[in-house]
Amino acid sequence: MIQYTHMAETVLQTRDLTKEFTRLRGLSSPRRFYDKTRFTAVDKVNLSVERGEIFGLLGPNGAGKTTLTKMLCTLILPTSGSATICGHDLVRNGDRVKSTIALISSEERSFYWRLSGRRNLEFFAALYGLSRKQARERIPEVLETVGMTEAADRRFQEYSTGMKQRMALARGLLADPEIFFMDEPTKGLDPLASRDLHQFIRDRLIAAGKTVIIATHQLAEAEELCDRVGIMYRGRMQAVGGVRELAGDESLAGFFHTLVSSTGERQ
Amino acid sequence: MILRKPLAFLKKDFLMEISYRFAFFLQFGGIFFSVVMFYFVAKLIGDAPTVQSSLSRYGGEYFSFVLVGIAFSNFLSVGLGSFSTSIRGEQMMGTLEAMLVTPTRLSTVIVSSSQWNFAFTSIRVGVYLLLGALFFGVDFSNASVLPALTALVLTVIAFSSLGIISASFIMIFKRGDPLAWLISTSSTLLGGVYYPVSILPHWLQVLSLFFPITYALDAIRLSLLQGYGFAGIARDLLALTVFSIVTLPISLVIFRYAVRRAKKDGSLAYY
Repeated sequence: MIQYTHMAETVLQTRDLTKEFTRLRGLSSPRRFYDKTRFTAVDKVNLSVERGEIFGLLGPNGAGKTTLTKMLCTLILPTSGSATICGHDLVRNGDRVKSTIALISSEERSFYWRLSGRRNLEFFAALYGLSRKQARERIPEVLETVGMTEAADRRFQEYSTGMKQRMALARGLLADPEIFFMDEPTKGLDPLASRDLHQFIRDRLIAAGKTVIIATHQLAEAEELCDRVGIMYRGRMQAVGGVRELAGDESLAGFFHTLVSSTGERQ
Repeated sequence: MILRKPLAFLKKDFLMEISYRFAFFLQFGGIFFSVVMFYFVAKLIGDAPTVQSSLSRYGGEYFSFVLVGIAFSNFLSVGLGSFSTSIRGEQMMGTLEAMLVTPTRLSTVIVSSSQWNFAFTSIRVGVYLLLGALFFGVDFSNASVLPALTALVLTVIAFSSLGIISASFIMIFKRGDPLAWLISTSSTLLGGVYYPVSILPHWLQVLSLFFPITYALDAIRLSLLQGYGFAGIARDLLALTVFSIVTLPISLVIFRYAVRRAKKDGSLAYY
């Protein structure tokens, strides 16, 4: 078992971070078609993540994990509250925040399928601000790191799900960011590929002092991989802590179900 | 370095375009058939005195007139539609979020995504003119190239301003853009693409003065077919400049509002 060294440097901090969405009632209530309803997707989340941590963002579907992740990646503006990432304010210094993060999504469609993996990386390297020379050096490195060197010149559409996920990792590695946000990173992967990804996160990313925040609803994955977890339900962060600290002798799944049912009854 | 991102877009879009080889070459076939069709329409119209008098400002010959009109009206289509098409394309391919999580501004993404469309349209326009000159006897020997290019640049800016406003609609409503539809159809009707503005009823001629295509096509025809210099097309250039100065800042403000609203709604990548 690899041991991680935790330095007490906070790289991500949120204070009462909230996201409310406004929606038209629409056809669900035709007589009040234009009336608006408010829905709180993320409710006053306070979170602190330290450098070198693997932090798991857990919760059932619709808990607010993806909205929180997208807010932290500057793709959605918060309604209220604040957050800093590597010391940069999320809203005021969005461009600086983006220079320190990578979002690795399970969304296969985030690449140009008719281009090769290498061409995709060349394009995104430019968007990350790498010069031509830097890109020429960096792309073979990241391809090697994720084991995609030989397949790099095949069209993206020819890749298997596992290969596509590895290309997503390669893209995330291009700019050598501080924090990796991973949204359901093992979705669609077979057990072997999932194990390889976990190993990669520990041996390559954490060993290099990076921070990884994983949004998942796979509790076994979180239990195996994460140093700490935050459990979200109905937009609120219900519990944050180490797996054993929270669950004690119980399994994380058992603790999760108890927490979610009791919270559901209270609300 | 400042051109690194725009050039990366250009290269990516070029590679994507030629990955569909058949469609790529088919477009040039379409240009050929369009030119041939208008050649025969021009033969039908012939040298009737009414045609000559209506077109005397541009040399009196219908085929040259309409060739330049259909070729350069391509810039209207691409200027109006390219920005919104690019956004919608990236939203549908799922690549927009992946781009926006990089330290690249959305405005850079939108403008750079449209470059290939403008570059390819320039090639298409070149093919129209080349076919006309080589096979159908259109005379460009008197053309004043620099004034024509100046008019073209101003035309692209003016059309793009409208296109950016159109992209703002797509950013918020995802589909259905009344502005592009209205301007595109009105411009084709009033701007003098297929017939000179002078044959329209007086009130429609007045209305046509509010559309940049009217000035764009007038300036380009006069400089390419009649060899007019800057002085001869000064009125058109001034109108296009004023139009650009007024609409470009407005379009950027509207676009910034649309992006902020999409980020608030969380609908940036929805389609």
